[in-house]
Amino acid sequence: MDFKNFLDWFYRFFGLKRNIRLGIYGETNVGKTTLANKISLDWTGEEVGKVSTIPHETRFVQKKEKVELKINKKKLTLNLLDMPGLATKIDYKDFLKYKISKRQAKKRAREATEGVIEAIKWLGNVDTVLAVMDSTRDPFTQVNITLLGNLEARKIPVIIVANKIDKKSAKPELIREAFPKYPVVEVSALKGKNIAELYKTIARYAK
Amino acid sequence: MRLRFTFISSTVLDEKPLGKRISFILGKVKDGTILITDGVMKPDEEMALIKETMRKVDSGFPGIEVASLKKPTKGFQRLVEGMMDQSDKIKKLFSVLTGTKIRGSSLKTGMTLIGPAKYIKEIKKNPNSFSVLTEV
Repeated sequence: MDFKNFLDWFYRFFGLKRNIRLGIYGETNVGKTTLANKISLDWTGEEVGKVSTIPHETRFVQKKEKVELKINKKKLTLNLLDMPGLATKIDYKDFLKYKISKRQAKKRAREATEGVIEAIKWLGNVDTVLAVMDSTRDPFTQVNITLLGNLEARKIPVIIVANKIDKKSAKPELIREAFPKYPVVEVSALKGKNIAELYKTIARYAK
Repeated sequence: MRLRFTFISSTVLDEKPLGKRISFILGKVKDGTILITDGVMKPDEEMALIKETMRKVDSGFPGIEVASLKKPTKGFQRLVEGMMDQSDKIKKLFSVLTGTKIRGSSLKTGMTLIGPAKYIKEIKKNPNSFSVLTEV
């Protein structure tokens, strides 16, 4: 029995309620922070973090604790964990096209690498994961495959969020085809489309 | 500018402990080599590779591109692989009981390509194949 399982057992044994640590993972610019903000705004009235079109805006784990969800008759208390985007490469030159200085770009790149490492370390401390994917992009990437493989190996429940369905080029069906083993919820975190379905799915799978 | 492709047997990588294997891979890739091997890393090993890559990213090395294809396994082979995913004790016990030599690591059957992101511009992947576009 590892420490996490021991804690679960301990809380259950004494009839205590434990907050579910909900990790929001995915590649960069798939809308993780937009989704975290939407969930947090809906249930607490406050945002989690800043959203930007520049990749790696979230370079540190952003938390929103004690987010209480009431779905049908079920109550859940979540600690939302908005993770830095996962990547296998971070090139400071990619940031220069957003009109930031070379020095700032290098600093951003360095912080982004640290963010990826932090996000990976947190994999051992989350209870349930929302794996966010951009419906306008090819979902069959090595980062997505590696992320889902790790979650499966650790027996962490995962819900795939096919985000950005408000965009014309969105093809969420490709995500379902690529990962048929997992529950997939199609949403637009930006427009709030189908978010109620996501809450129901979280209530069903989160533990 | 030249780009070197190195095809390396999974046996060579398999014999190394994970830390040394990752150092070996990143050493080659940082030198501009595209490595291709007849094995697939476990998800946690691949995550360790990504983590170590991030530690090595600098202005001259933006990181790596990885693509792998895992050969579907069934029957006894799946059982063996499942056991190899377990602890070292189980591996050793299985080795003693069956007389089968289980190698130090756990590269599964398949194929993996790892190369420098500086030169690999795109990897198009589907469950049965992947194509790589390079720009040197």
